[in-house]
Amino acid sequence: MLERLARADRPLMWVLAVYLGAVALHVDRLPIWCTAAIVLISVWRAMAAMSAIAMPRNLIRVALGTALLVAVAVQFSTISGLAAGTALLAAMGAVKLLETKTRRDHYIVLGVSLFLMIAACLDRQNLLRVPLYVAITWLACAALCIVAAPQLAISARTALLQAGRALGYALPVALLLFVFFPRFQGQIWSLPGGGQAVTGLSNEMSPGAISQLSESDEPAFRVSFLGQRPPSTMLYWRGPVLHEFDGYTWRRQPRQLARGADLQFRGPVYRYRVTLEPNQRNWWFALDLPSGPVPAGTRFTFDYQLMSIQPVTQTTTYELSSQTDYRSTDDLSFLSRRMGLQLPDGRNPRSVVWARRQRAAAASEQDYVLRVLNLFRDGGFVYSLTPPRLDLDSVDDFLFNTRSGFCGHYSSAFVTLMRAAGIPARVVTGYHGGEWNPIGEYLIVRQADAHAWAEIWVPGKGWTRVDPTGVVAPDRLQRAALDRIDAGEFAADALVAELGWWPRAVLTWDAANTWWKTRVLDFDLRSQLNLMKNLGFEAPGLRELGWMLAGALALWLAVVGLRFSRSPAPAPVDPLARSYRRLCRRLAAAGAARAAHEGPMDYSHRLSREQPQIAAVVTPLLVDYATLRFGAPPAEPAVREFTRAVRRVRLPRAA
Amino acid sequence: MAERAAAWSRRRQGVDHFPVTITRRRLYILPTRAGLAFCALLLVMGIAGLNYANSLALLLAFVLGGFVLVTMNLCHRNLQGVRIEGLVAHPTFEGDVARLEIALGNDLRDARLGLDAAVPSASASVGELLGGTTGRLELTLPARRRGRQSLPRIRLSTTFPFGLFRAWTWLHVDETLTVYPVPRGALPMPVGASDRSDGRSTRQAGNDEWAGLRSFRDGDSPRQVAWKVYARGLPLLVKEYTGGSSQVLDFDFAAVPGASTESRLQQLTRWIVDAEARGQRYALTLPALRVGEANGPLHRHRCLEALALFGLPPESSHA
Repeated sequence: MLERLARADRPLMWVLAVYLGAVALHVDRLPIWCTAAIVLISVWRAMAAMSAIAMPRNLIRVALGTALLVAVAVQFSTISGLAAGTALLAAMGAVKLLETKTRRDHYIVLGVSLFLMIAACLDRQNLLRVPLYVAITWLACAALCIVAAPQLAISARTALLQAGRALGYALPVALLLFVFFPRFQGQIWSLPGGGQAVTGLSNEMSPGAISQLSESDEPAFRVSFLGQRPPSTMLYWRGPVLHEFDGYTWRRQPRQLARGADLQFRGPVYRYRVTLEPNQRNWWFALDLPSGPVPAGTRFTFDYQLMSIQPVTQTTTYELSSQTDYRSTDDLSFLSRRMGLQLPDGRNPRSVVWARRQRAAAASEQDYVLRVLNLFRDGGFVYSLTPPRLDLDSVDDFLFNTRSGFCGHYSSAFVTLMRAAGIPARVVTGYHGGEWNPIGEYLIVRQADAHAWAEIWVPGKGWTRVDPTGVVAPDRLQRAALDRIDAGEFAADALVAELGWWPRAVLTWDAANTWWKTRVLDFDLRSQLNLMKNLGFEAPGLRELGWMLAGALALWLAVVGLRFSRSPAPAPVDPLARSYRRLCRRLAAAGAARAAHEGPMDYSHRLSREQPQIAAVVTPLLVDYATLRFGAPPAEPAVREFTRAVRRVRLPRAA
Repeated sequence: MAERAAAWSRRRQGVDHFPVTITRRRLYILPTRAGLAFCALLLVMGIAGLNYANSLALLLAFVLGGFVLVTMNLCHRNLQGVRIEGLVAHPTFEGDVARLEIALGNDLRDARLGLDAAVPSASASVGELLGGTTGRLELTLPARRRGRQSLPRIRLSTTFPFGLFRAWTWLHVDETLTVYPVPRGALPMPVGASDRSDGRSTRQAGNDEWAGLRSFRDGDSPRQVAWKVYARGLPLLVKEYTGGSSQVLDFDFAAVPGASTESRLQQLTRWIVDAEARGQRYALTLPALRVGEANGPLHRHRCLEALALFGLPPESSHA
C-alpha cells in the first residue's frame, strides 16, 4: 500500500505522514469524530493518489469543510480557544488535503502541520512527548526536501539525511537563541482556558460527602532544599485556610477581612525551591510558615496563605524561605476571633453539648485539647479512606456514630469541638510530607499527600497547629521514605542502592522530568539574568542580553559559514578518468584538443572529420573509454588494459 | 529594476570566458516564496512562544529558525564551486529552435543536486551531478533572423535541498548563435560547372544504397563505423554506400534567379541542405567569397555560415 502510494505521489505521501503525525499529537484532545474524519479523508486522498477512486468535486469539498466547521463549533460552543482552534485547524488541514495538487498545496498542509505542533507545544510539554516533537520536526523538514523538488526523486534516506544534518547544525544556534533571546514578562494576550477539571485541593471541604478518597499519584509540586532540610514531621505545606462552617461544608473566607497577627520567627531558616504543577487556582504552597519576603506577583493573606495574583496555569518555580518555629504575642483581632468561633446555629447539637461539658470539666484550655485528642485516640476511631457518608449534622454523625474517616473528618470535628468550647480554631488544608527522590535530591509532593489539619489560637503563642489525624493514624504521617530525609545527605547514595530497579527507574524519570521542567520549560527572563550574572556581568539587563545574543549568533554564523564555504574535498579520481584525462592532454598537445562539452563519441566524430590521421589512432581508444565509462560497471582488467593502451599510443602531428 | 540588476551584475562580473568556476563573488542568494512563507510562519510561532512564555514552542521556533539559516548555507554551497566547462550554441535555421548546450563539471566530492539553467525562453535542469563527474544541460533558444545572434544571459541556479532559498549566478557570454537562412525554394539544382560525368541530373544522382561492410581504414568517419557489429566483439568495420558522389555541384549566388537577396539565400540554403543529405560534393560562390568544393558537416557549416552572414556588417549581431 505504502509502496504503491510512494510510486503514485511521493510528495503527497510525505505530506500525509507529517500531517497525520501532527494530528496524532492532539489525538487525546480532538473529538473522536474529528479524528475519524481526518483518518477517512487521508485514506480517501491516498486512494485517489493511487487512482483507486476519484478526487472529490468542489461542491463536496466545500460541503465537507462547512460540515466540519459547524461540527467543531457545536462541539466546543466556540471556535476560539486552544482545543476548538486545534480541532478546527486539523479539520481544515484535512479538507485542504483533498485538493492538494500543486506544490503550493503541499506547502500549506505542511504549514498546518507545523501550526498543530506549536499548538501541542503550548500545553503539552511533558518530557515524554519531546521525542515525538523531534521526530515530527525531522519528518517535516525531510518532507520539505521531497516536496521542493519532486522531479529529483530524492530518496527517503537522502531527504532524512539532509534534514538531519541541517537540523543538527541548527541545534547550536537554537540553543544560543533559547538562552539569550530576551523573554517578555507576562502575556500580551491570553488564550481562553481549556476548562479542565481540577484535582487535589479545592475551595471547600465537605468530609461527609466523600465516600471514597482517590489516592492520586499526580504530583502537586516538587521541592528542592537549598541547604538545610527540615525534619520530616515538620513538612506541612500550607494551602487554603477554611473558616466558614455550615455544619456540613467548610469554606474559605475569600475576603481580606482581618489583619493577620504579627509573627516572630525562631529557629533554623529553610530555603527551598518549589516547582508547582498547574492547579488552575491562585494557590502557591509554602512550608508552614514562610518567613522571608514573598515572591513578586504573590501576596500573603491574613490567614498566612501564599496566593498568586494570576492563576497557576503552567508549571511555576519559586524560591522561598520558611521557619517552622513561630509565635505571635498579639491579641487576636475582633474579626478574627469572630471567624474563629463561628458555628452554625442549631447544627451538630450533640457535639456542642459534649464540648461544653468537657470544657467545663477541664482545668484549662490545654487540658481540654488533650481530652479531645484522647477521645480520638481511645474512642474507637479509625482512619479510613473509604468512610461512610455522613448526614447533615456531619460532626455529630462522625463523632458518635461512624467514627471512621480521614484527615478532613478529624480536622472538621476537632475545629468544631474547639469552637464550641470557645477556643478560636480553623481548618488548614495543604499537603503533608512527600516522597524523597534521592536521584534528583528533591521531594515529590503528590495529590495523595493532600492533608487537612487544625489551628487553634493560644493566647501569648498565636495560631498553633494541632493535627488530630496524627493521633488516630500516626503512620499516615510518617512514611518510611520520608524519615530518610533526616539521615543526611551522605545517605542518598545508600538510599539509591537500596531501591529496586523499578522504583529507581520511576524516580530517575521523575528527576529527568523535573530537570526538564525547571531548567528548560521554566527558563525565563529571571533565569536569563541569573545566568548572565554567573557569566560575570555586574548588572545584566536587556541590553547585555542583546549583546550576548548578537555575539553568539555572529560566532555561530562564522563557524557554520566557514564550515560550509571552505572548499570541500576534491573528488577522488578513478583510474579510468585519470587515463582519459591523460589521453585528452596528449591529444591537446598534438593539436586536437577536446572541447569541454564533448563526450568521447562526439569528440571522435569531430576528429574524424577534422583530423583524420589522429582520429584513426585514437578512435578505438575513445570507443573503449565510452564503453567502459557508460556501459556496465567496468572490470578492473579492462581498465588496466585501457590505461596501458593510452600509455602506448603514438599520436601523429596534427595536419 | 530587473534590467538595472542585470546591467549591474554584468558590469560587476564582466564577460565570462570558459571554463568558469562559480565562486562566492558571483553567487547570489535570496529566499524563495516558500522560504518567505516559512519565515512568516516561524515569526508567528516565535511570537506565540514569547507571549505565552512557552519555552517549548520557542525552542521549536528557534530550531526551525536555525534550520532556515543552515538551509541558506547548504543551498549556497550546492552551487558554489560548480565549473561551467563550456557552452555551445548549435547553429540552426531561421525560425527554428536552437539548442544551447552547457557542460558542467563537479570536481568536488559532494554530489550537486537539482541544478537549473534558464534563459528567458526555456529552462532545464540536471538532477544529479555526482562528485568528480561532468554533466550537460540543454536549453532552447528561438532563432530569430539569419546572422549572428548574441546569447541572452543564462541563469544557473539551485533551490536544493529544501526549496527555501534560491542561489543563482549569471553567465554573460560572448559566444553567439549562428542562424542560417531558412531553407526555402523549389528551383532545380543547377548542374555543376565541374561536372565531369555523363551529365545526369543531380536529382537522380543521390541514391544511397547499402553496399556492404569493409574493414576500417585511416580517415574513415566514425559515423560510418558499424558500432553494433563492433560491440559484438568483431573488428572495426565501416558501412559502405554506393551513391552519386561523383558529381560536383556549384551553387553560385549570382546564378540564382530570384527577386530578393533573402529569397536567393534561402534557395541556396535549400540546395546545400539537400546536397549534403545526399552526400554530394558541392561548392558555394558568393560575390565576395568562394567555398571550394567538398562535402561533410564541416563544409556544410562553412557554406551555411557564409550564407547566414552574407551582406551583414562583420560585427553586426542582434539579440
